Amino acid sequence: MPSSDFWLAPHYVGWLLQGFWVTIQLSLVVSFAATILGFLVCIARLSPFVCLAWPVRAYLSLFRNTPLLVQLFFWYFGASALMPPELVQWLNTQHILQLVLFDVQWPSFEMLAAFVGLTIYTTAFVAEELRSGVRAVRKGQWAAAASLGMSSMQVWRCVVMPQALRNTFPSLIGQYMNVIKNTSLTMAIGLAELSYASRQVETETFKTFQSFGIATLLYVLLVMLVEVGGQCLQRHRLQVRGGLS
Amino acid sequence: MNVDVIHDNLLYFLVGAYPHGPLGGAALTLLLSVLSASLSAILGLVFGVALVLTRGVAHTTLLLFLGFFRAIPVIMLIFWVYFLLPILFKVDVPGLFTVVCALSLIGGAYLAHSVSAGISSLPAGQWQAGRALGLNTVQIMTSIILPQALPVMLPSFINQWVALIKDTSLAYVIGVAELSFVATQVSNRVMVHPTEIFLFVGLMYYVICATLELLANRVARRYDKHLRLDGK
Repeated sequence: MPSSDFWLAPHYVGWLLQGFWVTIQLSLVVSFAATILGFLVCIARLSPFVCLAWPVRAYLSLFRNTPLLVQLFFWYFGASALMPPELVQWLNTQHILQLVLFDVQWPSFEMLAAFVGLTIYTTAFVAEELRSGVRAVRKGQWAAAASLGMSSMQVWRCVVMPQALRNTFPSLIGQYMNVIKNTSLTMAIGLAELSYASRQVETETFKTFQSFGIATLLYVLLVMLVEVGGQCLQRHRLQVRGGLS
Repeated sequence: MNVDVIHDNLLYFLVGAYPHGPLGGAALTLLLSVLSASLSAILGLVFGVALVLTRGVAHTTLLLFLGFFRAIPVIMLIFWVYFLLPILFKVDVPGLFTVVCALSLIGGAYLAHSVSAGISSLPAGQWQAGRALGLNTVQIMTSIILPQALPVMLPSFINQWVALIKDTSLAYVIGVAELSFVATQVSNRVMVHPTEIFLFVGLMYYVICATLELLANRVARRYDKHLRLDGK
């Protein structure tokens, strides 16, 4: 029964792979940006300055407790309504961004909204993971470092952060896996990533099993790759440092 | 800012077309989340206990099964249920069933690991004491282990519920009239105030989720204190 027309035509597989490429690009850029921003937000959250810590608390609580989909709708429909139409048009045309970020399809407004929405959402989670990593560093470590005459900057850089990063590493990997899965929501604002492509191929060919099957397989492969990569990195780092924790 | 659009459609945001049509809006979001939270709690318990009790090939198979559901995006699972089941079994799959099914499978896979971690965190003496009393594995599990482990796991069940409330918004992709879908409907109809509409809807989700998160933290703190007193 599985004859030659059981399989998808090559150009449909091409669509799926194109979508996959968009998913990979978006995941990479978002993970990178969210890690850096998450660091800054975590430091602001832990800072003794109330005027800094409270707005950050509000941000964390608000963006962690609303669905990503609604946030994406807000950035896509809501923000474009607030911006002058000329600006939206400008964002949608070819310009410098494409030159800097090699062929990332950046000029589309969907892509920008997806990037902004996903990054702001992920940053909130990364910051909280980092904070719990910092909190897990024992109080004695601070005291010991201070008694050695280290400045608070040195304590952060040489004592607390290395330990906090090691505590946070597994959950950071988990966050990167979530980013990959969350990119699928951007199909709702019309970004042609993997889920969008699979739905499109399904509507055109009626080959439900094949199109969703390939898309699912690609997602699982990518997520597993990140997980295994993370485990290898962690094992390697632990070996280099000579022992557990 | 235009609050009239919110005011005019408030009832629609809350209950959808009800009573002139099917239930929708925030009420449907809550209903969907309660249904899938209870189902995923049951699945999580069953899989979690199975994780603790199985060894060897069965254990690996279970791990792979759970790993699969943790690795795929919710949207892909919704697509599978919604578009493939009708082809395979020649049945019409309602959107509501699809969402509850997909969310409880994924929620269950996540909970299974926290259930198994919760059970494993109990001291081994509990098992030995049970054995010494002549109880079998099932009896030890139901009358000694679970009554101690479940209260400690309660916060992660509530947090899972919060995650599920946010995930019900994905029902949007197959046209189930929950809060996010209703919001885009209103936005498409009035055309001019998307910012206000999505801010308001975001706020509604926030109030629901933040309240539950507060509850989870309170419960967690209570058992934390409880456990620490036990330890002394």
